Amino acid sequence: MLKINNLKAKIDNKLILNGLNLNIKSGEIHAIMGPNGSGKSTLANVLSGKKGYKISGSVLYEDKDLFKLDIEERAQKGLFLAFQYPLEIPGVNTSNFLKTSLNAIRKSNGKKQLDALEFLKVVKSKAAALKIDEKILNRQLNVGFSGGEKKKNEILQMSLHEPKMAILDETDSGLDIDALKIVADGVNTLRDKKRSFLIITHYQRLLDYIKPDFVHVLMKGKIAKTGCSELANELEKVGYENI
Amino acid sequence: MIDNLKSTFENFNKNITTKNTISKIRQDNFDKFLSSGFPNKKLEDWKFSDFKKIISQNFKNLKINLKDKKKFSFDNHIKEFTHNKIFFLNGFYNKHSFKYEDDKKIIFSNLKNGPAYEPKGNNSLNLLNNAFFTDGLLLYVKKGYKCKKPLVVYNIFEGNNKNNFFNQKLIVNIEENSELNVLVYTINLNSNPIFFNTSNFFLLEKNSLLKLFYLNELSKKDLNYNFTETKILENANFENFILSYSSSFFKNEINCDLKEKYSSGFINGAIFAKKNQHHEIKTKVNHFGETTKSYQKIKSIVDKNSKTIFQGKIYVDQKAQKTNGYQLSKAILLDKESEFDSKPELEIYADDVKCSHGSTSGNLDENSIFYLMSRGLNEKQAKNILIKGFLSDAVETITNMEIRDYFLKKIEKNVNEYK
Repeated sequence: MLKINNLKAKIDNKLILNGLNLNIKSGEIHAIMGPNGSGKSTLANVLSGKKGYKISGSVLYEDKDLFKLDIEERAQKGLFLAFQYPLEIPGVNTSNFLKTSLNAIRKSNGKKQLDALEFLKVVKSKAAALKIDEKILNRQLNVGFSGGEKKKNEILQMSLHEPKMAILDETDSGLDIDALKIVADGVNTLRDKKRSFLIITHYQRLLDYIKPDFVHVLMKGKIAKTGCSELANELEKVGYENI
Repeated sequence: MIDNLKSTFENFNKNITTKNTISKIRQDNFDKFLSSGFPNKKLEDWKFSDFKKIISQNFKNLKINLKDKKKFSFDNHIKEFTHNKIFFLNGFYNKHSFKYEDDKKIIFSNLKNGPAYEPKGNNSLNLLNNAFFTDGLLLYVKKGYKCKKPLVVYNIFEGNNKNNFFNQKLIVNIEENSELNVLVYTINLNSNPIFFNTSNFFLLEKNSLLKLFYLNELSKKDLNYNFTETKILENANFENFILSYSSSFFKNEINCDLKEKYSSGFINGAIFAKKNQHHEIKTKVNHFGETTKSYQKIKSIVDKNSKTIFQGKIYVDQKAQKTNGYQLSKAILLDKESEFDSKPELEIYADDVKCSHGSTSGNLDENSIFYLMSRGLNEKQAKNILIKGFLSDAVETITNMEIRDYFLKKIEKNVNEYK
């Protein structure tokens, strides 16, 4: 699904990713953990196409050069990034935006666009399944949302888009246990053989609910260690310094 | 320009009325106008808009053809909501329909045969309006009557080389305990440029409510100066919204006097200026009564060598204790050639007062664009969503839901069609 080979990324002449290698196959869940400033969010941003980075190395997404795709093309081809800090967009109704975004993706994949009624039916059932209060749909996009509501909104969008490859950038940060379960449910419901996840997190807590196939430790822009889900528990005990 | 205008006036004043008293007052206004001429940037109120320059760049002559009575049809009525209507064609009253109202409660006439208005103040465009107005609306909403549907004043123009200068007055009195919603909708069906100069007055008596909306569908070379004066008495509430996206030059100047206690004034607006447009909103809110409140929120999008201006002043008289006055103007500039000027002012002589003003300008947020694009939207769609969202935030202040939705639709269309 995603093959990252010797990926380097610089911003303002500062090297953030320094030769990162990672191979994610269909159906796998990978977790990336690492201290602050190790490059976790940069990795998520670079993969989803954020501008401003100087990049070398290669990333193949479904065997094609990811860097040849624009931001929206990546999304349309099934790459989804759940933001660490979802943006507040004043004046934009959440439900309308979710519909526009879902239809943009459906259109690019040759699927029929949903009308307002069809969309509402879909989004309400997804929200109910994730126990997300549908009231957020009538509010302005992320405006005045609590940290938890913003993250839930990301998970709702992920479940609407049904991506092939989802990247969760510290979606668990700052969440209470109930919200954490919603995030985990969002991932676990979508989990199947054709879908992969890259979960970026600081804490092992989320990984109690989502069992990853692999856990990687990112240090100074490189994968320093890879293990199975037990590695997360070990990290929790000994900290990053002793890895 | 001025010499031509003199002969235009001479001719006009001979033909518009046979009454000497009215001619005399019009002449006085014109003479007073001549002593100062078109406003230029040396005047504080016009420091960001050199109207003298703007008008001379756009017009060789200002002409009024009173014989131009050619009938033209207009059937593009607003279909989104039911409303009462008054039509003005090329500046003259044409027809009306108040079918949703009790016609004993709405009294109106046009201003074609007078009265005349004595020269007052130094606003030269108001003096020009007093000299040249051809018609207008005098409307009373009688005591205790709440209009059921909004009134749309359609100003329809078919400007041409010989008829490009139009002056109008709307004079409206909302009596005690009565209510009215008005949308002034100005449309030029021709591409020949016009200069539309309006001077409006609204009196809101005790416990009354007026919601006043301005919308223009003028063409890209038209100029519109729209002056509004309001006097608001005890516990009356004035709500104004300006949607400003068409015409080359559009300046709205609103003076709002909160004369008596518990009165309030809301002046909000959304401006989308592009391709050399020059749009300005200038407000002056005077708190004269105790426990009065005012809110202003103006949002502008500025692109392609265009310019928007917000000049807003809140004045609090020493008697106006417990005043609440808020003002916020925000602008987003889409390119380097565009300009946004803001001059917020507070002048406060009372001590128990809450007042604030804020003004910001910036670019579209790159991170927000990235966020929206990461959800499958292309750059243009993402930017359009942000532009619409930014402007909608001001439109959301409108409390008449039908007109709010109509304005949101107009913004949607205008932004989507913009290239």
